[in-house]
Amino acid sequence: MKLLSIVSVGLSRFVRDRFNLFFVFLFPLAIVLLIGIQYGEPPTLTVGVVSAGGEVSDEIIERLKDTDRVEIVLHTDPEEVADEIESGDLDAGVLLPDDLDDAAWEGRPSEVTFLSSPFGVGPQLRSVLDDALARTLAVPTAVGAATERGADPDSARAAAADAAWVLEVVDVETTTTGERIFPEDVTGFDVGASSQLVLFVFLTSLTGAASLIQSRKLGVVTRMLSTPTSLRTIIGGEALTRFFIAALQGVYIMGATVVLFGVNWGDLVATAAILVAFSAVGAAAAMLSGSVFSNDEQAAGIGVIAGLGLAALGGAMLPVELFSDTMLTIARFIPHYWAIDALADVVRRDAGLADVVPQLGILLAFAATIGAIAVWRLRVTLTR
Amino acid sequence: MGDHALEVNNLSRHFGELIAVDGVSLHVEAGETYGLLGPNGAGKSTAISMIAGLLESHGGTIRIEGEPMTTRTTAVRSRLGLVPQDLAIYPDLTARENLRFFASLYGMGTKSAKARIDEVLEVIGLSDRADDRADEFSGGMKRRLNIGIGLLHHPRLLILDEPTVGVDPQSRNAILESVEHLASEGMSVLYTTHYMEEAERLCDRIGIIDHGRLMAEGTRRELVASLGNQDRVSITATGPLADAAEAFAALDGVAEATTSEDTITLLTGDATRVVARAVETADAHGLTVASVEITQPDLEAVFLHLTGRALRD
Ligand SMILES: Nc1ncnc2c1ncn2[C@@H]1O[C@H](COP(=O)(O)OP(=O)(O)OP(=O)(O)O)[C@@H](O)[C@H]1O
Ligand SMILES: [Mg+2]
Repeated sequence: MKLLSIVSVGLSRFVRDRFNLFFVFLFPLAIVLLIGIQYGEPPTLTVGVVSAGGEVSDEIIERLKDTDRVEIVLHTDPEEVADEIESGDLDAGVLLPDDLDDAAWEGRPSEVTFLSSPFGVGPQLRSVLDDALARTLAVPTAVGAATERGADPDSARAAAADAAWVLEVVDVETTTTGERIFPEDVTGFDVGASSQLVLFVFLTSLTGAASLIQSRKLGVVTRMLSTPTSLRTIIGGEALTRFFIAALQGVYIMGATVVLFGVNWGDLVATAAILVAFSAVGAAAAMLSGSVFSNDEQAAGIGVIAGLGLAALGGAMLPVELFSDTMLTIARFIPHYWAIDALADVVRRDAGLADVVPQLGILLAFAATIGAIAVWRLRVTLTR
Repeated sequence: MGDHALEVNNLSRHFGELIAVDGVSLHVEAGETYGLLGPNGAGKSTAISMIAGLLESHGGTIRIEGEPMTTRTTAVRSRLGLVPQDLAIYPDLTARENLRFFASLYGMGTKSAKARIDEVLEVIGLSDRADDRADEFSGGMKRRLNIGIGLLHHPRLLILDEPTVGVDPQSRNAILESVEHLASEGMSVLYTTHYMEEAERLCDRIGIIDHGRLMAEGTRRELVASLGNQDRVSITATGPLADAAEAFAALDGVAEATTSEDTITLLTGDATRVVARAVETADAHGLTVASVEITQPDLEAVFLHLTGRALRD
């Protein structure tokens, strides 16, 4: 009963604070929208190509056209391409020399010009172009080299054409071997949304610690202690309040991403269990911050920094797949890592509750350890 | 059993080097209003915090109706109502919500709480503002709400720590009246203040505390009598007051002379006999007398006598 009163007062004070409403409902939504839109509609890159035609040139253009998210616009004037790159209408330009076909077949060097602005996606497109050139020029170059050494041009050409399937096999292999970061049926944002969830649940928890400090500063916590209410109930009530707010933040982000982007959260029981465990970690961290700091503004400020920092270290900003070994070792000491790991299992690999028990155990151990330190600190500070 | 409402024995507490409460012993009888009178920093709030079980003591015992009170006892607290010196209310909740919250912490059922909250709102004069947020209240109204929370559960012992500080005279009077009212209903009250008038008006017995020590204790009459029924002559003057001090003390019939910045205070058995000569002495020492005041002894005088200082400077 007393516990419920503490929780309900905590929650109603939370809801009344417009700042909270902004940071818990509007702000995360804005960020999720921003990131979700990026995942959802990847930008298409427009490349201007100047070509005099010919078998080799056409094949290069075809390969470029086949590249995802690349749109080819044919131009005749190199000047024009340069101008449009400058004005931003084109992302890059490729100038194929008039004698490309002849040079390729004769094994002569010739020069393909790549144009891009110093900003943005130039390097990415450059590698796309390199790839298209390498694959297209392999056959004519081989033929040219063979003829140069005295082979009969026609039979060299036939032999090279026969061997060209190798290139296609290599092509197939490069896209299918090795583990892809994201399986085909999982959109990038299914994974991005997990990170957002973890980041904001923890961030909201930490900044919410300010309210505990306010209660302490207001003397209300001391006054609560002057009533026949045990310290355990008071701390429990405050912790439970923090927990509900963290979980609310999580449920809200899950709901918003489902509605807005159709994000797939996998097995709901497993996801809910992960959210509960991670919210417990968030609540414990909030209690710790609330017991360590005596200034609510300071706690909120440090909460934001710590919330973002831990999210970055724990893989909620950049996928851990891109982490170095050292970073990965560090990440294992951050609760975010385990929550994201568990969510990844559920979202990407169809894991159920039983499969994520290890991660849940680790998260609960985090919650228990941090919580115990917080309770000890609070006991000391509240009764001196 | 005839237990006292409160019994404090040899209570002590220090903060580092500073001894905030130094061996204080006192008791509050059932139904009695006891005043703890002392200047800023005397140790009143520190003592109150320990009595309410909120601060670890470094020695001594506290019993409330015979039950020991420490920072680890919970049940005894239901007999106690605390009104802390600093406001302890949620500014973003309404008066009623604040009261409802604490009523539940005092273990009151929803129904009995509802009726009692209305009563308390009446007592603290906030019935018509009950559903306004506390941060929209004036200072005095906040103080009254602060007091109301301590009354909710009909405590056997009500502890008020300087409840009138920073309150306009009207609100202060309302507060004093409600304390009188509660006392008349049989509630035991421990009241701290540095306003002598409040202690004189409200309290059956008064303890004078300074530098953490209880200097004297008794009814107002007893305390004043302890001075030997001396009258007080206060001469406000400019000039070399300190130089004249000895001459004043040597005057026939003067028991004690104390000088402060601009006032010489003489304690005497009969003020009328001394006044004329005192003014002469002042003249003789080149002092310019601005005013002469004769007062019957009061608690201020008792305090001055005990500590050599005024209660407020
Ligand atoms: N938490 C604390 N840490 C260090 N010193 C403290 C603490 N609390 C009180 N003190 C010191 O103990 C002494 C007594 O303080 P206390 O608050 O009990 O005085 P008080 O009689 O209530 O004064 P006031 O009339 O100003 O409220 C003061 O010197 C004060 O500085
Ligand atoms: Mg005080």
